[in-house]
Amino acid sequence: MGKVEALPYDDRTVYSVAAFNRGVAQWLTRLPTVWVEGEVTELRRHERWASVFFTLKDPADGSCLGVTMPRGQFDGLRLDLADGERVHVYGRPQLFEQRGEFRLRALTIERFGVGAHLAALERLKTKLAAEGLFASERKRALPLLPRRIGLVTGNDAAAKRDVLTTIQTRFPPANVLVAETYVQGPRAALEIVAALQTLSSYEDVDVVVLARGGGSFEDLLPFSDERVVRAVATCRVPVVSAVGHEQDMPLCDLAADVRASTPTAAGKLVVPELSVVIGSLDRARGALARTVRLALARDAQTLEHARDRLRAAPRLALERETRRLEHAHDRLRRAPALAVERKRAALDSAAGRLRLLSPLKTLERGYAIVRTDSALVRSAADVAPGVRVAVALAEGGFDATVEGVHG
Amino acid sequence: MADPASFEEAQAELEQIVTRLEQGQASLDEALALWERGEELYAFCRGKLDAAQGKVEELARRVEQARP
Repeated sequence: MGKVEALPYDDRTVYSVAAFNRGVAQWLTRLPTVWVEGEVTELRRHERWASVFFTLKDPADGSCLGVTMPRGQFDGLRLDLADGERVHVYGRPQLFEQRGEFRLRALTIERFGVGAHLAALERLKTKLAAEGLFASERKRALPLLPRRIGLVTGNDAAAKRDVLTTIQTRFPPANVLVAETYVQGPRAALEIVAALQTLSSYEDVDVVVLARGGGSFEDLLPFSDERVVRAVATCRVPVVSAVGHEQDMPLCDLAADVRASTPTAAGKLVVPELSVVIGSLDRARGALARTVRLALARDAQTLEHARDRLRAAPRLALERETRRLEHAHDRLRRAPALAVERKRAALDSAAGRLRLLSPLKTLERGYAIVRTDSALVRSAADVAPGVRVAVALAEGGFDATVEGVHG
Repeated sequence: MADPASFEEAQAELEQIVTRLEQGQASLDEALALWERGEELYAFCRGKLDAAQGKVEELARRVEQARP
């Protein structure tokens, strides 16, 4: 590495391009060797070239970094890399002085394999679940009859055809707005997010279907991309996710309001069967007419009933009055007999009481009543020898003359 | 009478009306008014269903240009 020398000018320090580049290159060597993760794009390898070149792209925002590696070393890794694959590159920053180009000089490259993807997915899943993104309380009900259905799908996808055919067969009046996007590869995630946002920005789009047929684990990765998962969870309208096959479970399935096992199933979820809707409407209308007829009949009956009562009213009043009169007559007829009866009872009672008071009872026990002409004899003093008295007994009596008086 | 906002609202209102009528508590005047409204709602819903074949439209391609 040569020395960096400034050119001598009056009052300023000026470097030649070569010197500047060399200086920066030298400074860069002080940086440590690091691992960098990204997706391989624009891989260029030629037998004539001493080095292999590719661009490492950040899937999150598309940031790029040139990578270079000696061809022999690259071939020795036997990675057989293809564009779009995710790798970890171990290397150090380097300035290619001749061209002033900044690169990462790779010492080794490791494919970011399925295992690493799975682990990363698992971490993301745990994180999003902790945020409550997959919570069942977040799930929204699908509209019964969406005014318009948004469909995010690949351009040639059988998935697209399946969804559209199902929707149009079940419910011909349905309106669908289709957003075609990449559904795999490095650009897919951002496109899917953009498509979701665009579709849900239409006021009359009431539900969005995210459909993609089966594919390899890597193919389906965009549907587990954090940005896609968040976009699904926060979409203005409910999202139906129909991605991959039954056994695939991309994270967007967990964030969606409803998960459909296939694109056809998704189509069935977003529209009702026309005949069923019409059937239920017609039933409601039938019930409407029937109930109104019933209400009319009921009121007519009430009216008739009222009329009948009205007509019957005079006769009823007459009958009532007749009954009352007869009753009174009855009582009147029975009144004299009752009076006699009452008097007889009173008489009997009086006779009884009279008998109790009568001295006859006393006489029956052997007593006698003695009276003079003028009064009852109660005391010896009431009589004198020679006075005539009458003696009354229980049965009969006799006259007697007082022979003597005892004091 | 007010136009229903959506098919769902219209259908829900129609069902409510039927239920109300079925309970038999509406007066005759009310029942006739409900009937009239119910028929309106039915016509509205049928109109939505009998509308011509729906449209499938494609959004302009290149949604990724929306990227910042």
